[in-house]
Amino acid sequence: MNTVSITAHKREQLGTKSSKELRRQGNVPCVVYGGESPLHFHASVADFRDVIYTPNVYRLEVDIDGNKVPCVIQDIQFHPVTDAVLHIDFIQLVDGVPVTMEIPIRLLGNSRGVRNGGKMKRVLRKLKVKATPENLPDSIDHDITNLRIGQSVRVSDLTTTGFEIVNSPSAVIVSIKTSRVAVDDIDTDEDEGEETAAATEGGEETKSEE
Amino acid sequence: MLQPKKTKFRKQFKGKMKGNAHRGSQLAFGSFGIKSLDSKWVTSRQIEAARIAATRYMKREGQLWIRIFPDKPVTKKPLEVRMGKGKGSVEFWAAVVRPGRILFEIDGVNEEIAVEALRLAAQKLPVRTKLMVRRDFVSQQ
Repeated sequence: MNTVSITAHKREQLGTKSSKELRRQGNVPCVVYGGESPLHFHASVADFRDVIYTPNVYRLEVDIDGNKVPCVIQDIQFHPVTDAVLHIDFIQLVDGVPVTMEIPIRLLGNSRGVRNGGKMKRVLRKLKVKATPENLPDSIDHDITNLRIGQSVRVSDLTTTGFEIVNSPSAVIVSIKTSRVAVDDIDTDEDEGEETAAATEGGEETKSEE
Repeated sequence: MLQPKKTKFRKQFKGKMKGNAHRGSQLAFGSFGIKSLDSKWVTSRQIEAARIAATRYMKREGQLWIRIFPDKPVTKKPLEVRMGKGKGSVEFWAAVVRPGRILFEIDGVNEEIAVEALRLAAQKLPVRTKLMVRRDFVSQQ
């Protein structure tokens, strides 16, 4: 997992008043928990821009006044109208202690169904994954090249190594829907089917001849 | 047009629209959406007009989600009727929209079509809106 370093400062005063003051100065109040005790700190909102507005996930190395804390983002609060970042929760990464976080799903290849005119429908873009810090993946990759019209990929179809997916195994990730311009996707299979059928018929005939 | 199938009471008080919306203030389904910047009652007719405007532009492609529901009955007294004699009859249904509320969401179409469809939908609504794009959306351009 890619690591991003962020310089932060410990919060001396807590509460609404000091939080509002921090936001006014262009900072964002944060908390990191999961370690011995929760640590309250603040950092510039600009430092988080590349970490928040991205499809990727990052491991963060937060330098709180010289004390480096490895962590990942757990939750972000936004202002309902302005969408400004109000607060960020981090969870500390401790070796051997599993954490749960959302990991993006990366679909590889151009599916056969889409090539035949079907429409790809993404249902889930991220999955909740439980793993120890050393086993946290950057993304969950899945090849959809052979996915045909009417077929779908479920959570149970994914291969996991070293981590556990918390989502329901029956949850659909992506499906290929038929559309008005879709072409029948059974040509090759029909041919194969006919060939095999002919072979079996031939076999039967030879048997009957015997 | 949208309206509840059944209600516990036929008529409601006007109520207040103080503060911002906290529920339903982030995109939940689509990659694009419009967010209200004002507080207002949005009627079922306005929601339907906006839906039609957006889906027509999308030409039956993609998917659209309506994130508000008109569950408030609004009453009106008939014309030239003296005050009193009870509350009027239900005239229309409205959704109480406060600043920050996501109104519509779109997915399954490209960025240009989604933005234009949502602009057309926003024109049918009584509130000022702003465009929302999913946080992890990567533009293809």
